[in-house]
Amino acid sequence: MIKHPIEPDAEPAVRLEGVHLTYETKQGALLEAVHPTSLTIRAGEFTALVGPSGCGKTSLLRMIAGLTAPSGGAVSIFGRTPKEAQRHKRLGLVFQEPALLAWRSVEDNVRLGLQLNPRETHSPTNVDELIEIVGLSGFERYRPAELSGGMQQRAALARALAIDPPLLLLDEPFAALDEITREQMRYELQRLWSVSHDPRDPPRSAVFVTHSVAEAVAIADRVLVMSPRPGRIIADIPITAPRPRQPEHEHSDRFINDTAIVRAALRSPTTPAVPLDAA
Amino acid sequence: MISEPIRDLDHLEPTTGRIPLAAPDVRPLLGWIVPPLVALLIAAVAIEVWVRVAEVSVWVMPRPTGVIENFFADFGRYFNEGLKTLGVSLGGLAIGTAAATLLAAGVAHSQLLERAVLPIAIMVKVTPVVALIPLFIIWFGHGWNPKIAIAALITYFPVLINAIAGFRDVDPRMHDYFRSVDASTWEIFRHLRLPAAVPYLFASLKISVTLSLIGAVVAEFFLSGQGGLGAVIWIEQNNLRLEQVFAAVLMLTLIGVTLSTAVVVAERLFSWRLDQPVTAS
Repeated sequence: MIKHPIEPDAEPAVRLEGVHLTYETKQGALLEAVHPTSLTIRAGEFTALVGPSGCGKTSLLRMIAGLTAPSGGAVSIFGRTPKEAQRHKRLGLVFQEPALLAWRSVEDNVRLGLQLNPRETHSPTNVDELIEIVGLSGFERYRPAELSGGMQQRAALARALAIDPPLLLLDEPFAALDEITREQMRYELQRLWSVSHDPRDPPRSAVFVTHSVAEAVAIADRVLVMSPRPGRIIADIPITAPRPRQPEHEHSDRFINDTAIVRAALRSPTTPAVPLDAA
Repeated sequence: MISEPIRDLDHLEPTTGRIPLAAPDVRPLLGWIVPPLVALLIAAVAIEVWVRVAEVSVWVMPRPTGVIENFFADFGRYFNEGLKTLGVSLGGLAIGTAAATLLAAGVAHSQLLERAVLPIAIMVKVTPVVALIPLFIIWFGHGWNPKIAIAALITYFPVLINAIAGFRDVDPRMHDYFRSVDASTWEIFRHLRLPAAVPYLFASLKISVTLSLIGAVVAEFFLSGQGGLGAVIWIEQNNLRLEQVFAAVLMLTLIGVTLSTAVVVAERLFSWRLDQPVTAS
């Protein structure tokens, strides 16, 4: 029985070809939010997208997720359209706000993705186990409003992982959290990234939008730097520090060096600090 | 400090399994009930004294003791007529609420439907609906139907407007999440829009429950042949029997209080929140 239509390793997780986004403002002026962008994210790759506020990184993520239609160019997710990726529940979305259903318990919120579009619920994840993994054991019956911001975001992560998606799309998931919780959560995310993954699927990939350089370097295999609007990718920096990474890694020379490269790329938005991705 | 935890527990539904173990303290409740009762008693005594001392005619103002005496002496009558009024009121409320909720669901999904329907709904809203009673009598005859139609129509508008607002009060990120797993329009309605609208529906029910009672009583003035407290008031004022008029009004007040309380109790049982949740961050 073929459970997943996508062959492992056959296709990159994300491929963008000349994807751009232009929209009309209320005054009738055309505003280019995302400059034509081409990009390949391999299966299993954890990619961070950093850039100043309003540079179009969220727009780029929304186009990958199929929530915003690009003005031009092609998006493919494991060789399919974003719409097909949605239909087969291949995407795990996490937003800046936890966006949980206020009237449902933590457990029922985590279950939501399994419940919706049920024909596409393959390999049912053990929700109890998942709640334990994200550290919410004992809070299954609580309402979101009864939890702290960090706990709510853990619940949102568990909800995204419950459908066992081969591609995680994270839009500044820790931006609303306090500094201490944020620093914890990035290592939690590293751990969760590989959790309960169906071996028949390609290795799980992630696109992680953030405006924190430290966060990007700490967690990603690859940091893409975007210029101010109209956003385009001006640097593609590999982060080769071995995994699993520990919080202590953030004191190493290697980490400091990597963040320096990313910061330099952010400072000189017009001249790429590192050659662009060939793709 | 005694009343503090009780307020917090109001936010929990019984289904969470975290039901308060201790019996709720009734003292704060008494604090809300006793002062208005005392005020009412003082007013009644004042009127009683005024009517007796000034020898006010019974055709102008009956004695409160006389009203109470009549109310209990003829309780069966007021109770039975009250049931009729209650039936009209609840029948209208049920039909009006159901129709308004259904239309709101349509309007929340279709801008075309909104543009077509909302101006008409507002026209109906600004029209004093009781003006249509004579027309409804021609259309629906002299039975219960015209009365229920008025109660339904008067109930309709607040529910419609609140339900539309509720169905649309959806976190856009949550909507994005539903789309990201290709949830159907029905799934988005059933699991996102409908629960989001529940607090709005209860808010509108608080308004429309008393409106439906007004509609029922006014309709009964016109259709005094079928009884109901409106008919009792109409007939007794023609006979200048003011004790009976006041007793019927007293019964209406009791019905109104009961209905409003029922809505509040239902809200506590079935609504997922009464106001902004207490965030513990």
